[in-house]
Formats: sequence, C-alpha cells, structure tokens
Amino acid sequence: MSTNESTGSRMRERYQQKMLEIRGAFESGASGAATIAARSKAIDELAIGLWAEEVQRDRRLATGISLVAIGGYGRGQLFPYSDVDLLYLLDGRLAEKDVKDAIRRVNQEMWDSGIRISPATRKLAECERFDEENAEFAVSLMDHRQLAGDALLYRKLATVTIPKLLQREQKGLMARLTELTRARHAKYGDTLFHLEPNIKDCPGGLRDVHVCSWMTLLRGVGPEATGRVASNGNADEDGEFGKAVEFLWLVRCFLHYRHERDDNSLDWQAQDAAAAAGIGMDGAAPPNADAAYWMRFYFRHARRVERRVSQMMGEAPLDKPRLKLLGLRRERRTEPLQQGFRVERGRIVLDALVDGGSGAPAHDPAQDPDIVLDVFEAMARTGCALGEEAEQRLLLALPVLSAQLEEGPALWQHLQRILTGRHAGDALRTMHVLGVLELLIPEFHGIDALVIRDAYHRYTVDEHTFVLIDTLHGLESAQEGPMAEWAAQFGRVLRELPHPGLLYLAALMHDTGKGRSTDDHAKESMTMAQGVLERLELDSYESGMVSSLIANHLEMSLAMRRDIFDRQTVRAFAGKVQTPEALRMLALFTYADINAVHPDALTPWKAENLWRLYMATSNYLDRNVDEDRVGAQEESELVHRVSALLPGQRSAVAEYLDGFPERYVLTRTPEQIRANFQRFQRFAEDSVQLDFRYAPGVSELTLVTPDRALLFANMTGALAAWGMNIVTADAFSNRHGVVVDSFRFTDSFRTLEMNASEHEAFVKSVHEVMTGTLPVEKLLSGRRRGRRKVPKVVVESRIEFDDAASSHSTLLEVVAQDTTGLLHALSLTLARQGCNIEVALVDTEGETAIDVFYLTRNGAKLSQDEERELREALLRAIEENTRS
Amino acid sequence: MQKIEAVIQPSKLDAVKDALVEIGVEGMTITEARGHGRQKGHTEFYRGREYSVDLLPKVKLELVVKDEMLDRAITAITTAARTGTIGDGKIFVSKIDEAIRIRNDERGEVAL
Repeated sequence: MSTNESTGSRMRERYQQKMLEIRGAFESGASGAATIAARSKAIDELAIGLWAEEVQRDRRLATGISLVAIGGYGRGQLFPYSDVDLLYLLDGRLAEKDVKDAIRRVNQEMWDSGIRISPATRKLAECERFDEENAEFAVSLMDHRQLAGDALLYRKLATVTIPKLLQREQKGLMARLTELTRARHAKYGDTLFHLEPNIKDCPGGLRDVHVCSWMTLLRGVGPEATGRVASNGNADEDGEFGKAVEFLWLVRCFLHYRHERDDNSLDWQAQDAAAAAGIGMDGAAPPNADAAYWMRFYFRHARRVERRVSQMMGEAPLDKPRLKLLGLRRERRTEPLQQGFRVERGRIVLDALVDGGSGAPAHDPAQDPDIVLDVFEAMARTGCALGEEAEQRLLLALPVLSAQLEEGPALWQHLQRILTGRHAGDALRTMHVLGVLELLIPEFHGIDALVIRDAYHRYTVDEHTFVLIDTLHGLESAQEGPMAEWAAQFGRVLRELPHPGLLYLAALMHDTGKGRSTDDHAKESMTMAQGVLERLELDSYESGMVSSLIANHLEMSLAMRRDIFDRQTVRAFAGKVQTPEALRMLALFTYADINAVHPDALTPWKAENLWRLYMATSNYLDRNVDEDRVGAQEESELVHRVSALLPGQRSAVAEYLDGFPERYVLTRTPEQIRANFQRFQRFAEDSVQLDFRYAPGVSELTLVTPDRALLFANMTGALAAWGMNIVTADAFSNRHGVVVDSFRFTDSFRTLEMNASEHEAFVKSVHEVMTGTLPVEKLLSGRRRGRRKVPKVVVESRIEFDDAASSHSTLLEVVAQDTTGLLHALSLTLARQGCNIEVALVDTEGETAIDVFYLTRNGAKLSQDEERELREALLRAIEENTRS
Repeated sequence: MQKIEAVIQPSKLDAVKDALVEIGVEGMTITEARGHGRQKGHTEFYRGREYSVDLLPKVKLELVVKDEMLDRAITAITTAARTGTIGDGKIFVSKIDEAIRIRNDERGEVAL
C-alpha cells in the first residue's frame, strides 16, 4: 500500500467514524441545524485533506485552482445522504488536462467514502455566463464557500464574478426561479397536502426554503435592491418561518437516517415512526400523540413555508402572461381600491395612514376593522394577494382589531361579500394564516391543520373547507376535462340560488365539529354554528337554512349509497331536506364536499348519480305534495312535537292538522305550527290573521284564514300593488278549510326598507284587501311601476298539466319569466276559470318563475278541454302581465 | 382459478363486499360502470326540462378465486345483490390460466 493510499484510507475511515458520531448525536437529540452543519464540516475536512495531498504530489496545483463548495454544501447544510456540489475553479493558468488526474483522484476518494459527489470544473469566465437552459448552475453559485486552493482566485469569484452575474441577470434569474418553482409545485398538484409528502420538493418543502433565500439574495443585489440583508435561509432569521425550517431540517435528517439514502418521502410508516420518536415536537406532544397529531405540525410548518415562497414569487418581476392574468396592463400600475388600500402589481398594499374624518386624527388602516374586512373582500373579488408588508402590519394590529371588531349584521354583510367573492378560498386562507378568520369565528380554530389520517382524506380539515369553497366558486365558470358537463349542470343550480351566502357560510362551518371528539361531527358542527349565527344576527329563516345544511351535510352522500331509483329512498331523503332551496344547496354542497376530499374522489359517475338523486328529489318535492296528507289519527313524531308545545290541546291540534299536506308539517318548525294554530284559534276576533316578518333581503308574510274564492289571487294582488316580488310561496289548506299561505318576497322599490313607518300601512292594506274592505283592483290601479328591466335571460313560457301526479287534483306547472305581478295574474286567471287551488308551490330560479298548482274544479280533476282552455287563458295572462 | 365479473347495483356494493369478505375473499377490483340490459333507460322530467337516462349506474366487481371457492363466491354475490327485480345485475365467470404476484414472482393460486 502506498503512502498516499494509506493516508486516503485513514481520512476515509475518519470521515466514516465522524458520520457514525453525527448519527449518534442526532439520535440522542441533536438539532437538525447541528446535524447538517456537522456533516458539512466533516466533508470539508475530507475534501481539504484530499486536496492537500494532491498539492503535495504536484506543487503546480497550489495556484490557479480553487475548491469551492456550492449549493447546499456551499450553505454548510448537508443532510446525512445529500449529494455534495463541489466546484473546481480554474483561472486559465492551469489547463484542464493538468488538473484532470488530481480531480479524478479526489472525486474517487469521496465516492469511495460513500459520498455522492457532483463535481463541476469551470473557468472563472465561464461562471460569469448565464445559460438559461442551465440556470440551476447560476443558482447553485449563489451559495458558495472556499474549501482549499487559490484564495485570490476564489476572492475574484466571490467579490467580482458572482455579484456581476447576479446584478446583470437579476430579473432573468428571478423569473427562472419562479418558473422552476411553479413547475415543481404543478408537479405536486399545486398543493402541499399529500398523504405521503416529499418534504424536499413538495410545496412547502425545503426546496421552497432555498428559493426564499435565493429570492432574498437577488432582491438585495439588483438595481431595485430593497436594502434587505441577503439571507442564507438560516433558521433564526425570523420566528415562525425559522421554526418551520428547523422542523423540516430535523425531519429530513430523520428520513435520511431511516431510509439510509437521500429519500425525502415522508411515507406512512415514516410518519408513524416520526410521531413515536416525537421528531420536532420539543417535548410538546401529549403522551398519546399519534401520527395524525404529528402530521398536524408538519402541515402547519409546510404551510408557513409555502406561504412565504408564494409571497416572494408574487413580488418577483411579473412575466407577461401573469400580468395579463391579473388584468394589469403595466407592471407598475397602481389602482386605489377603496379607502385605506390600493393594488400595486397585483398585490394589495395598505396606505400608511387614513383620514379619521370630522377632525379625528388619522389612523393606521391595519387597525380599522372595516378597512381590514374591505381588504379581504377585495382579495376575494379580484384574486389579488396581500403584500408582505400589509401582512406584517395586520399581524401586529390583531390585538387592536380584536378589541374593535363589532359583530352583528354589519359583520355578516362583510363576511357574506368575502364568501361569495370568486376568489373567496384564497382570501379565507390568508385570513386563516393571519389569525383574522379565528378572530371572526373562533370556532374555526379547532380544525386548524387537523389531519384525518386515512388513505382517502387528502387535505387537512381547514384546507378541505377552503377547497370545498373553491369548488363551489369553480362552478361559476366553464370548466374543461371530464367533469366539465357536470360542473356546467351544477353551475346552473348555483346561479339559481337566491341566498348563496348561506351556502358558503354553511360550507365554512360544516366540519368545525371535527375539532372536538364526538361521534357525530355534523351535529357538533351545527351546535358550534349556532353561536356564530347568533353573533351574526341572521334571521330565523337564514339561521334555520344554515343549521339544517350543516346538520344534514352527509345525508345526500348517504342516500347515494342506497338505490337512488327507489321511491322510498327518494321519499326518505326528501323528508330530510324538506324544501327545494335546501335541496339545491345540499346537492351543490355534496358535489363540492366530495371533490374536496381528494382530487380524484369526484368522478363523472358520482356526479351523475348525485344529479339523478337531486332531480328525483326535486320532482318528488313538487309532484307528491297532494298525496301525502296528515290524518286525523296521525301519530307521527312531528304531530307529537307540536302537541307537546300545546299541553292539553292534543285533540284540537290533531283536528287543525287533519288534511294538511305532510309538506306543511315537514317544512315548518313545531313552534311555527303552534303559532299558526294559535292564529287559527283567534278566528273569532279576526278571521284574517297576518304575520309579517320584515328582513332587509327577503321578507315573509304568513296568512291564516278560512278558505274562500279569490283568496290567493287577492293576496298576490295586494303584494304586487306594493311592488313586492314574490320569490317563493306555498299555500296549503286542511280538511276543514283553514288556509295557511306563506309568501317570501323582495321589496322592489325598497319601500319597506326606506320607510319603517310603512310597515304598518303595508300590513293594514293587505288586511283590508283580505277582509274585502279594500278592493284589490283599486289598490292595483295605483300600483307603482318601475322602469322595465331588460331580462338577462329570456324565459319562454311553458304550461304543463300532469293528471297522474295526484289522485284527486290536476298538477299544473307554469314556467315563465319572473316579473312582478305574475303570480297575481296566474291566480286570478285560475279563479276566473273556476279552479280551486288545493296546494300552491311557488319558486324562482334566477329569472325563471316555476309555479306549481294542484287544482280541482267542482271537486274533481280538470278535463282535457278545461286544461286546453286554461292553458290559453294562462298564456294570455302571462303575456299581458309582461307587457303591462 | 376462476375469474368472476359481477355487474351489480351500486346500492348493493357494501353488502356484496361484506359477504365476500365473510367467506374469505378480500382482494377485488371495483369499477364504476354504466349499462343497461332488460332494465332499459327512461326519461325524467325536471322543472319542465326533459332528461333521458339511457345508461343506468352500476358497479363492476372483478375477483379471481380458487376453483373450489367459485360456488361459494357466486352464492355470496347473488344472495347479497338480489332484490328480485329487473336490474339486479349479472355475473360472468371465466377460467384463468395463470396469476403472478409482481413483488416476488409467486405464481398460481398462492399469488391470489
């Protein structure tokens, strides 16, 4: 054995010994930072030693060549099995052939020591060139350290060549880095949520940490230098981000030792092992901490990193396609959005101060709850991200915001605008990370990064919620791919929703119960949502809708596991949803909920089944109402629940409910039925019992009265005369001729909204019409008429009769353009044709009115001739009402 | 070895799976499928619009069993999937020449 060989062998043994010691130290609790620094140092010793031998062998190598550590090795961060980037730098005095053997021997020794070395030999001048096809080399040069050789040569590289390269190519490098990062993220489906994430390359992984440090460095060297200190991605550079980096370092060391190679996949078994070893938990883990608990930490840290890198990429110079995407014509365009903030290069920037108004001192917009909520509304509406500085200011302002935040309807209006914005998911993610969402809805905190650990749930519970909201908004525009047809179909249903905000609020809250250990998370989520609904002061209809949607959010998925062509399945499901609006919301919710479990969970097959169940249930709700009626001897739970509220009146209640369609009992709470029953009991003093509930959006009027001719027509006429546009209505009667009609309507001219005093006059005039003291024609003759709006969608009038839907009535379905007074025109025509309305179900989908009536004439179904005559009369009435 | 392909109603999938697991069959492939035989499609009306339902949703199970398990597996499937009405589905049986476990190259029934 030659002297050189024995020295090399000694160095190799020392290195391997050192590796064992480093591993031992790690397993005894050394930090990730210490471990990667120790390996880097051990390799330094080996490389320096090997090179010294070569210089001893050939003195010409003392000058003109320098050994430079670059890339991760240049940062002094070498994970246990990472490869080692080594640059042999020449300045031209030595030819490559003169150094070839020495380099080969050093590389060989390192390979033989078990090190995966990635060597590069370059002349100084070559390092200054930027090759777009090999931008990775220029990037790796950003992290450099001299190991051995010609110090003067290295100094030239460090102080002249690299700064010159970075300054000249700053924009190109930033754009390329952004492009490479986006491509890498796209490879991982643009999400950090994976069942078995690769902690180096996934979004939120260590590669993103490096991108952050390179971006910071590049910002500091260009002509637009921000004055930031160039960072090498040290863990101590700032609190939360630093903690995330240290966590990822530790996990990567753990994975390398576990796999005994450069394998960074955090697979299922590795997650169990990391949880059992408490990796990165600093003793904070409870004794029963399992892999799900541990993964929660991983996702929180990865989210922090992913956020930082997205922000940095967003602030990098924009390329043309992205400028176009953001609708910004020029890179430097500044758009003031509202008071307190503006948009610069697609990012929202807070103003320094805003005028306090009326002599009050100017104040920080970050501390003004209205401005902060306006900022998130703008994000949701425009898709612009929040600038880094604005985020920092919001974080600092949280305690002040918390003290100044007011709840109630104003907050609901803000929240509703955020939730219904096209980019609500992104705005909510930002609110969540900054803690603003938890400030508004503390109930959300329990599901922060909560992991459902099975092979199916891809996202954490909070992210699942945001993906669900993204999916719903995605239905608003045309899609491509296998789901396009179904997205368009459900998209139409979404556009028809009168109150989309309620659907989104239910979506936001639907899984909050998972944060608590209960068997029934849907019920728990509903209970938790009650507090939110009370704080936002939603009215009883809105609260009821949100609560039932949350409580029933799994029902449609469950029904899909039954035979959806079986009438019993449809009937049972319809009994749970009760109203067409709730059904529409639940169908949309289920579509989005399935899609938000896993990217492949929603298939065209499932969407089709969902659609069929939706269609069958919708038809059931419209077409089976007249058949299922409450009997006098009914012993159902619903009847019991109503009777329980009226002690001692059980038989009177049974008599009142006798003959009402079941839908009347199903779509009302026992308390509402009790109130209607009590109104019925007051017939002796006044046989026209009205209950008016005003709300800024949709108001509600309920009429309880004995049945008589023209009742429905007069009521709809009175509402039309006041300019009220009926959105939904239903009319039911029992066996004894007691009618309960409910109308939900919007206030076209804002008469009731602008004049609180008019509420009483409104109810009085409706009462007079119903008692016959004021002819409805007189009221209608003074009717205000607004400027006729050109409809966005022209709806062709269609009249259909169905003689099979009911055993004793003829079903009439009218589909027409929704206009004020339409229902009055229809019901008046029905009355003039001698038809009795047994049941009426009135609904509006966007600009389409869909009104279903169960009719009899002289106590029987309509004949074919009567139907033909009625059809013509109705079409004429629709036409006249549209023209008037 | 025999291959069983069963086309059944989606609502019967859980029951069929449980029945097969009970007799010791655990490996199977399940595919979302559509089809119609004697149970023809039909037309649905929804809010004044007409939708034709030509192909009905089904699921297809594929499993390979030892020869002696064939009858028990078929009985398990038919018992669990039967409602007695048109549309309950069909079972197809074919012979399999070879099965190979990719991981360790095991062949024949041990690879099942």
